[in-house]
Amino acid sequence: MKWITGSPAVRETLRILLAVLAALLLGFIITCLVSKDPLNAYRAFLFGPLSRLNRIGDWLEESISLILLGLAVSIAFKAKQFSLGAEGQMAFGAMASGVVALFVPLPLFLRIPLALLAAALIGFLWGALPGYLKAYMNANEIVSTLMLNAIALRLYDYLLIFHIKPPGAGYNQSDSFPEEGILPSFMPPLPFWEETRRMLTNQMNLTVMLYIGVAAFLIAYYVMARTPFGYELRMVGENIKFAKYGGINTKRTIVLVFAVSGIFAGLAGAHLSLGVHQKLIANITVGLGFEGIVVAIMARNNPLFVPLAAFAYGYLRAGADIMERTSDVPREMILIVQAVIILLVTAEYVLPFIKQRIVKPEDSYLAEGDRHAA
Amino acid sequence: MPLDLVLRGIFSAVFVASVLRISTPLILPALGGLLTDLAGATNIALEGIMLVAAFSGVVVSAYTHQVGLGVLAGIMAGMLLSAILAYFHLYLNTDVFLAGIALNIMASGGTIFLLYTITGDKGASSGLASGMVPVIDIPLVREIPFLGTIISGQNIFTYAAFLLTAGVALFLYRMRMGYHLRAVGENPEAAASVGINVKHVQLAAFLMSGFLAALGGLDLSMAYLTLFQREMTAGRGFIALAAVYLGGRKPWGVLLAAILFGFADAFSNQLAPLKIPSQLVQIIPYAVTIIALVLYAAQQRARSSGQQRSMK
Amino acid sequence: MTALVEMRNIVKVYPNGVVANDGTHFSVMRADIHALVGENGAGKSTLMKILYGMELPSSGEILLDGKKVRFHSAHDAIAAGIGMVHQNFMLVPSFSVAENIVLGQEPLRRGLVDQKRAEEISNELANQYGLKVDPKACVANLSVGMRQRVEILKTLYRGAQVLILDEPTAVLTPQETQDLFRAARTLIEQGKTIIFISHKLNEVKEIASYITVMRAGKTLGTFESASTTHKELARMMVGRDVLLETNRSSSERSAKVLEVKNLVCTSDSGKPILRNLSFNIYSGEILGIAGVEGNGQTELAEVLSGLRPAASGNALLHGKKILNQTPRRVREMGVAHIPEDRLKNGLALNVSVEENFIVDRYFHSPYRRGLGVQYKQVRALGKRLIDAYGIHTSSGAQMVSSLSGGNMQKVILAREFSAEPRLLIAAQPTRGVDVGSTEFIHARLIEQRSKGAAILLISADLSEVIKLADRILVLYEGENVGIFSDPARLTEETLGLYMLGIQKQTPEEMEAVL
Repeated sequence: MKWITGSPAVRETLRILLAVLAALLLGFIITCLVSKDPLNAYRAFLFGPLSRLNRIGDWLEESISLILLGLAVSIAFKAKQFSLGAEGQMAFGAMASGVVALFVPLPLFLRIPLALLAAALIGFLWGALPGYLKAYMNANEIVSTLMLNAIALRLYDYLLIFHIKPPGAGYNQSDSFPEEGILPSFMPPLPFWEETRRMLTNQMNLTVMLYIGVAAFLIAYYVMARTPFGYELRMVGENIKFAKYGGINTKRTIVLVFAVSGIFAGLAGAHLSLGVHQKLIANITVGLGFEGIVVAIMARNNPLFVPLAAFAYGYLRAGADIMERTSDVPREMILIVQAVIILLVTAEYVLPFIKQRIVKPEDSYLAEGDRHAA
Repeated sequence: MPLDLVLRGIFSAVFVASVLRISTPLILPALGGLLTDLAGATNIALEGIMLVAAFSGVVVSAYTHQVGLGVLAGIMAGMLLSAILAYFHLYLNTDVFLAGIALNIMASGGTIFLLYTITGDKGASSGLASGMVPVIDIPLVREIPFLGTIISGQNIFTYAAFLLTAGVALFLYRMRMGYHLRAVGENPEAAASVGINVKHVQLAAFLMSGFLAALGGLDLSMAYLTLFQREMTAGRGFIALAAVYLGGRKPWGVLLAAILFGFADAFSNQLAPLKIPSQLVQIIPYAVTIIALVLYAAQQRARSSGQQRSMK
Repeated sequence: MTALVEMRNIVKVYPNGVVANDGTHFSVMRADIHALVGENGAGKSTLMKILYGMELPSSGEILLDGKKVRFHSAHDAIAAGIGMVHQNFMLVPSFSVAENIVLGQEPLRRGLVDQKRAEEISNELANQYGLKVDPKACVANLSVGMRQRVEILKTLYRGAQVLILDEPTAVLTPQETQDLFRAARTLIEQGKTIIFISHKLNEVKEIASYITVMRAGKTLGTFESASTTHKELARMMVGRDVLLETNRSSSERSAKVLEVKNLVCTSDSGKPILRNLSFNIYSGEILGIAGVEGNGQTELAEVLSGLRPAASGNALLHGKKILNQTPRRVREMGVAHIPEDRLKNGLALNVSVEENFIVDRYFHSPYRRGLGVQYKQVRALGKRLIDAYGIHTSSGAQMVSSLSGGNMQKVILAREFSAEPRLLIAAQPTRGVDVGSTEFIHARLIEQRSKGAAILLISADLSEVIKLADRILVLYEGENVGIFSDPARLTEETLGLYMLGIQKQTPEEMEAVL
């Protein structure tokens, strides 16, 4: 079957599909083992998200975070920079946008853009920091970004509890954002679609972040594929020696890669605060940063496939939620499925910096040395 | 006076004892992380290993009414997860970091999933009567003022943490396998050239790492607390990795670094009278780790490149 | 007296068709220092890899002490008493000398590594063979010469009777080289046998009793060191059918493009790589750098292209400094560089041919307009270059990794040449390239020359240098030992003498040709 096994792109896609199918099968087996009514439970899982409008809305809303985070991670990974900092950048993004939403007295059409800008800016800065440490001091970015995440999350908690939470409140959360500080619905009130709008917005909590997410994806794709910076990013990721030899300022590129990645993560945080929760709550990020990594892996670090992967992963997540609500199977089953997908997809995930067919493959254990660069 | 209260709190034997207790589930996985790091791989799945061990210990001890079996189950679960990671990395050529993340997700989801399936509760296993490991009261020592409270009366995992630190040091610097492990991590070519099987050594490192992290996880669920709570590791697996770097990648340094993190945790709670938010105090060890990281990297660069650096 | 090691009729053909050994014979007597000499690519490394079990011969046999042996791995060879000291040391930096020596076979006492015993063993070996080292010293702190001693002691610990030293003096200072020779003599007195691979004739003559010369995969013969002259050896090593084909018109000297004065470059460990190098290159001229690999050519190319810092000295391109600048700055000033290691530096393999073309120009027009890269222009460039250089590829969008070696080199050439450089540094431009592409590349180089570019041609292939260069500079141990202005009248043997450091021009002779 040469035509199937011929093109590497086709092979890759096939492999990912097979991995997903195998993982779903495994999920089904597990469901059978624990559930009294496995068929219905799994049916709810597989088809639930499409069954009702509000469920579709939930699915899409969640996927937006995943798109932004997937973009953040894939941008960094494509340049061979293993930044794990999305979680912390997201927290700061949520905080910054929340502060603007709560305290800056501007009308909605100014306040929201300012909030988003604040989130993007703080993501940029908090991302640039480990980027600088990596580029100019060769500090291992895995450890530094993990540390910065821990710091960011604690600063978020501190600010929330000691400065933003209204005095006397029971839970650790801010006031709900005022009207002017909430993302408007994805269908603005325009005469010609009033009826549809009312029906849809009644059921779906989708906000304009949908469009921003799509725009972010388009921008990310454009930047990666069609701008000088994108070219530099890709060359640094493919062969940093070639990049240096050709004249690219690799240090500056690395810092920018981390910073740009941070922008997307910051925006994901803004989505959480301005759209999903419409207030600042404790633990707002709930480990989404790591799920962004999953999405990026599924998309093979290619921003072009991130939305697809994000929607797919988001679908599985939504399905798991519905399954939990309507059957006796907890949603965590989906995490097991996810883990299996990652393992299967990455099992032959050849590390991009070794194993070219023509170059003599360096021993795989030597590759760790690179990671160990700190 | 608030400052008085705080100082009296910190300088009490009870506090020091609690620091040791709180540091235990940091020391053990940190030792595990140290072993794999020295063998040339990062075990980012320490978090997941601790979770599965904590969970298995609780469940098995509840159903068999045997603490010992619970501990054994926890160790085996942890080592199994570590073995899976090693297999994917060493034999299927998966990036160790991505596989580790996958296993963390699996552990996190899997433990909650099974928790619910077994107990019907997603939060904690309070319904289960799981076991508790013995606390050791050392007869004469406990009479010593101040030190007595610190040294005697800790649970076995805390003693194990210190003993194992010595054990790991002995292993790394005095035993043949430890030499091989360090050689593999530093220069796998050199190790291979003298006949050392690099993959075998790394596999062993992962298994030992799994063992140590499992003990750390069991300490969470079968010592001071005797139940399993979802996500009860709370990032300790990652702090353990930080401790490896902060401790200069040496066993006693790692011990001290882990205790430092534990101290910050315990200390931050003591500061309530001074109205210093615990979150700010908790930041300190992380910030210190980053500084240590930068210093370590600078030292590496100074050592390897001399004055001239070619971009070959 | 039977030879201790005898290799008969060894043939080694690699899967890609390269014949590394073509019926070589090699035999070494017990307790001899036997040198194996030849240029790079002569086949001596391969022959020794076969002896050490790292490669299997396609045919032929090896006899050890009269008995046939077959080594399937280095461990077989080690077990049979053959030890090899590689060019890259296999040491663990944080371990002590003693720990490195016993690595893999550490002495135990009650289950624990007996460090004391390891140190004792170290000292015993060191004393027996005159290789003084401090067993407790940390290898990371040792000099290169000391590290080499540790490597030698490692082989002795494993019971080596025959030691193969692969270009051991390449990394040593003259003083360290003398120490090594002293140690070698002691080893011989103790009954060991040494095979010494080198291309440095002075050293070989000094230390070896017998010399086997290899060239192009064949052994030319084994000679007594004492009764063979340098000249004879050089002629055998270097001589080949002289290609006096010089199909180019002679050019008069025009403007000075590159002026290099007293260039000094040192390695990470402080060892001088380029010593007080001075030369000029003029517009429309090819200056060929001849020399055996490892004499500073690589570093010269790197220093002039901004990839390596220079310790001191000056290099002016049309009066402007190009030393210690960023690679981009150097390129902007009009320097192009065909790198020696095309896979590591010259190409990004998993990237399309087109995108490999633009690495030096993606950021200015017409390839960039505003915020975006104009891929239409990129594709046009790709098409143009692919046609002009006859690159065998289905389209510009194809990944470079699927191209043959010759075509990959053409991609690099196309890019560098199309930048219309003032100074072109071409390092080993036809290495590993098929004959057809080689001729093509040569023609292109001449074409660039006629366009007025100044070309620095670095090549280990003498015939190529003689064919193309207007003047030839010989580099030996980082120093300019001779410049010649009329390659047509040079013989390869003469050049060989300079390349091997046997002869050297006086400063006055050089002045005339600088």
